Amino acid sequence: MTRVTDDIIIRAVARILIPFIQLYALYVIMHGHHSPGGGFQGGVIMGASFILYLLTHGLEEAKTRMSEIRAGVFSSFGLLVYSGIGLLCLILGSNYLDYGKLSTVLKVIPAQARSLGILGVEIGVGIAVMAVMFSIFFDISTGGILPEDEEDLGARDG
Amino acid sequence: MEVTVLVQATDKAFEILEKARNEARELLYSSAKLTSETKSLAERRQARAFLSGAQQSKLALRNFTIAFFVLFAFWILLSARFDYFHLTLGIICSMLVAYMSHDLLFSNIRLGDVRIKARRFFAAAPWFLGQIFSANLHVAYLALSPKMPVDPQIIRFKTKLESDISWVALANSITLTPGTITVDIREGEFFVHALDRKVAYELSTGQMEDKIAHVLMEADHVYIQDVLDVSRIFGALK
Repeated sequence: MTRVTDDIIIRAVARILIPFIQLYALYVIMHGHHSPGGGFQGGVIMGASFILYLLTHGLEEAKTRMSEIRAGVFSSFGLLVYSGIGLLCLILGSNYLDYGKLSTVLKVIPAQARSLGILGVEIGVGIAVMAVMFSIFFDISTGGILPEDEEDLGARDG
Repeated sequence: MEVTVLVQATDKAFEILEKARNEARELLYSSAKLTSETKSLAERRQARAFLSGAQQSKLALRNFTIAFFVLFAFWILLSARFDYFHLTLGIICSMLVAYMSHDLLFSNIRLGDVRIKARRFFAAAPWFLGQIFSANLHVAYLALSPKMPVDPQIIRFKTKLESDISWVALANSITLTPGTITVDIREGEFFVHALDRKVAYELSTGQMEDKIAHVLMEADHVYIQDVLDVSRIFGALK
């Protein structure tokens, strides 16, 4: 189980830094198709910002921002975005994740459609990685015991 | 005859002196009362804002807007692409992050005029830089002199600052000054590692604390800077 830190410096600095870390994560995701970075890296940074919040402000407060259920939904949603774009290409009559064909849907030239398609996939990957990173850390920090299990355990012990 | 005149004159002189002293004391007290009054007023306003729901949502909206502009400026700094596509992405991302964490950026903020704070910060910055420069020279002297006269010690003092932001500002400016490092803060008590006696003495005068209290507008006590301001006004009056 993680313990809430009582160090005022760490708490205050983390509180101010977290929004900037999140914006940097989004920047890495959004500029992934023409500069270093991309969905995975940005997603990890985004997950790290939530993990930092959990480490500094404790499990209970972190749950109000990113619960276990929400992390599960986000990880599935990210995968849906990724595979949805891939399948859309398949439906339009080309290979899986061959973005050139998206130009007919997006009404742009194929080169631009490729760029936009990659951006969409990166966003999906970013969301999925962020949620999975947080979910893994959440599982480690709670020892795999969900809140409802904890109540059951408490009832049995009491 | 001359003696009585002399006595009367000295009496008169003492009276004038007493009057001037009372006036000065009153001026100081009134300035202290003024700061405490403005503080209580601000706190009452803040309490009212927190009590009524409409005010609270207004506060949240204001925080959201300020957070959005700060984050969007950070985005421009990072991205440096000014086509419509990337600017739109920046606006969307800044709004998303501002929605998620505007309460983090502005929780526990004190009401106070930001412009006054900014002006005081820029007025105080040269002093901090000078302090860092002289401390650099002192540490270089300690390191380079053949005897190496270091006398490491941990000093602890209770701070009179109140908000966590001013604690962090004080701790970081102590750490930024060469020769001193903040080890820990426990319930307003600072534990600072100092390299030698001179550095520790300079720290214990509390000048840095006063400067930070002045910049961040912690107006609970009369600080040295406030007294200096009042004395200037008093001199002009005289």
